[in-house]
Amino acid sequence: MSGVSDRYERRWTIAILAALGALALVPLAPVRDDVLNFVFLILLSITLAQSWNVVAGYAGQVNLGHAAFFGLGALVTRTLWIRGLPIPIAMAAGAAVAAAFALLMGAPAFRLRGAYFAIGTLALGEILRSTVGNVLPEISTLPAASIAGYRLIHRYYLALALAAVSVLAVAALAASRTGLGMEAIREDEDAAEASGVGALRLKLTALVLSTGLAGLAGGLFAYYHISYYPAHAFSPTWTFDALLMTYIGGVGTLHGPVLGALLYVVLKEYLAVRWVDFHLLIFGALFVAIVLLLPGGLVQAAARLGSARKNP
Amino acid sequence: MLEVQDLEVSYGDVRALGGVTLTVGAGEIVALLGPNGAGKSTLLKSIAGLLRPRGGSIRWEGEDLGAVGAHEIVERGLALVPEGRRLFGSMTVGENLELGAFAPHARRVHAESLERVYALFPALRERRGQLVRALSGGQQQMVAVGRALMSAPRLLMLDEPSLGIAPRLVASIFDSLVEINRAGVGVFLVEQNVRASLSFAHRAYVLEGGRVVGSGPAAALLEDPHVRRAYLGPLAVRA
Amino acid sequence: MRILAQQLVLGLMLGGLYGLAAAGLSLVFGVLKVLNVAHGELIMLGGYAAFFVVGLFGLDPFASLLLVVPLSLLLGVALYAGLFGFVVRASEETRVKNSLLIGFGLALSLHALAVRLWTADERSIITPYGGAVLRVGGLSIPVLRLTILALAFALIAALHLLLTRWRWGRAIRATAEDWEAALLSGIDVRRAYLLAFALGTALAGAAGTLVAIGYSVSPSIGLEWTLKALIVVVLAGLGSMIGTFVGGLVLGAAEALSGFTFGGPYREVVGLAIFVVVLVARPRGFFGR
Repeated sequence: MSGVSDRYERRWTIAILAALGALALVPLAPVRDDVLNFVFLILLSITLAQSWNVVAGYAGQVNLGHAAFFGLGALVTRTLWIRGLPIPIAMAAGAAVAAAFALLMGAPAFRLRGAYFAIGTLALGEILRSTVGNVLPEISTLPAASIAGYRLIHRYYLALALAAVSVLAVAALAASRTGLGMEAIREDEDAAEASGVGALRLKLTALVLSTGLAGLAGGLFAYYHISYYPAHAFSPTWTFDALLMTYIGGVGTLHGPVLGALLYVVLKEYLAVRWVDFHLLIFGALFVAIVLLLPGGLVQAAARLGSARKNP
Repeated sequence: MLEVQDLEVSYGDVRALGGVTLTVGAGEIVALLGPNGAGKSTLLKSIAGLLRPRGGSIRWEGEDLGAVGAHEIVERGLALVPEGRRLFGSMTVGENLELGAFAPHARRVHAESLERVYALFPALRERRGQLVRALSGGQQQMVAVGRALMSAPRLLMLDEPSLGIAPRLVASIFDSLVEINRAGVGVFLVEQNVRASLSFAHRAYVLEGGRVVGSGPAAALLEDPHVRRAYLGPLAVRA
Repeated sequence: MRILAQQLVLGLMLGGLYGLAAAGLSLVFGVLKVLNVAHGELIMLGGYAAFFVVGLFGLDPFASLLLVVPLSLLLGVALYAGLFGFVVRASEETRVKNSLLIGFGLALSLHALAVRLWTADERSIITPYGGAVLRVGGLSIPVLRLTILALAFALIAALHLLLTRWRWGRAIRATAEDWEAALLSGIDVRRAYLLAFALGTALAGAAGTLVAIGYSVSPSIGLEWTLKALIVVVLAGLGSMIGTFVGGLVLGAAEALSGFTFGGPYREVVGLAIFVVVLVARPRGFFGR
């Protein structure tokens, strides 16, 4: 996988989890809210990127409708939570609905190969966004009591937990038999199918995991924002952000999406001042360069540099 | 004058040709025989520029074709009638033939070339407005040969022209090849129908497992015991 | 009943533009096997080019086509030489996937650039005769949009002639059908690719100009138009430009019908839903070979 060894990845997993652990201590110090918000955004992005990485990196399919599952998670979570359900249950329900929808769409969708799958899922995502935008055009705002009781710290720790879960889930997947099977599909689907790998079932497993995580991320989004337009959670921007972060970091690796997410959010925050969307221009160009020249993303670049240094 | 020297061609890790050496002289008819999978198509495709060899050389009229693109090889006077004909099905007979004369040197003489093709294959003249995919196998093969002839080649290569064609039509296609050769065009022919091809070829090579295992005048090969046993005997049934 | 007929007429006029938008995408996809999802952004750029050309030189909006189309042609050459020319080096499957990703990166960059240069505001070209309306059998037909429909058809017809009468047009079609056989016929396939891509971009530029005249442009219309083009390409299949135009008309009519039946906001959804269904059921479309 992109020329990166398993031991290398395991070291990275530990490093990432350690970093997340360190981040858990941040709120104990007297920090401003915008620091917490900034880190929250990074953590949400990590979860989002990892969720997309599961299908793209491990099952080898480009899902351009990913935002639909983020949106569904957000919608269901928000609706249930406002009605009084505790947030963990609401989020779990959101993830379940997202995964169920994926399962429903998955079998027919996976009949499509490559680019057709991509544009098909893009269309599906847009259908959902358009429909939700028509059915629920009004802004969704938390009731006064919830706004009064809003604690950023809760959102922060939840985001942290979710990011850790997504990293661990991907790590577990990569190491499992399922993960190996997926890798076989990614390399050569026909050959894998011929040797009895059961491609459809594996792809659906990847899809369920991917969309479940996306649904959780959406739920987190719904928990975090005081008010937002429901259709916004279905916007293709979420898909594209996930795609960019994953590819630039290194699709199919464990730490690639994490690095990509970090770089993306940092760049976005520090560039947004002078140019609106300048970070997108940079990322767009970087993305093209990576697809053409360095398919393994930054992770591959770093690995090459590392091995180059070892050989005098 | 075609000179292939120690040609090595691989598909990924699979070696298709392991050092092939042969020549086709100006104005000769040379047949290439061998079982399925011997590498005959691979050889023709490499000469035509569709495949890049891993080793060895291909020289045409003294020039090394190694770095020359396939469409430029056509301009140099080498034409290939590929296996399965590979016509442009959505276009008419006339359009297919005209496209054959796309290369600059061929374009200059395309009117004469067309006349020659229609003289050789009268059936095509009346069908020139018909879509190629509506034609029979034999007629399509005529179009394929015609298209290659439109490029005004000095060497015409054919990959299994008789495949899937009624025997009567096969004979007439072979007759055309003899006529084409009489006009000065060299012919390099890969053919399953060993007896027929050896009956009008001047020389022949035998390719097995990616190597040349036999060569000589056609008449001599017809008498060769190995050739007789493998390709002409009662066990060697050809479709 | 009359409202339905009115809506249908408007839908058909928009559908002609859908067809033109799809033609460029179809050409590139059919010949190069490259799915340029930045096609909508190229349409957007064409619209802005027209807008500024009209503003700078005071040309008649339709005359701006004479400048925008050659400019788009050049842009196409540049994009092929600098970007998509590298994509065609891979095998067909990798090619389609890579082109999808690269097109995406390109679309994103172009969108961001457009926002930076021209802000997110909508622009429209104001024409002096813009408000004229033809009254036929109780229906009101805006002359401007009718002209746009006629021009779209004319451009498609011109493209059709180019592909059938022009030597290189036939070479392009041959390459689309079987590139190896094209090589064996002496056709420089790389040059055919370049021409096809440049033509596709020129068509996008033309479509964009007409969009700016009859409707409006903003940086965000890219994705919208890419989707429309994709829907029409999948509906109509590859290989026939006239078929693609008809496919556009069908989409326009379908949208009008669904807007009438389910209400305005659901126009888009029906088109997308048809798209998904046809994609899964019949990927080669209705007119494709």
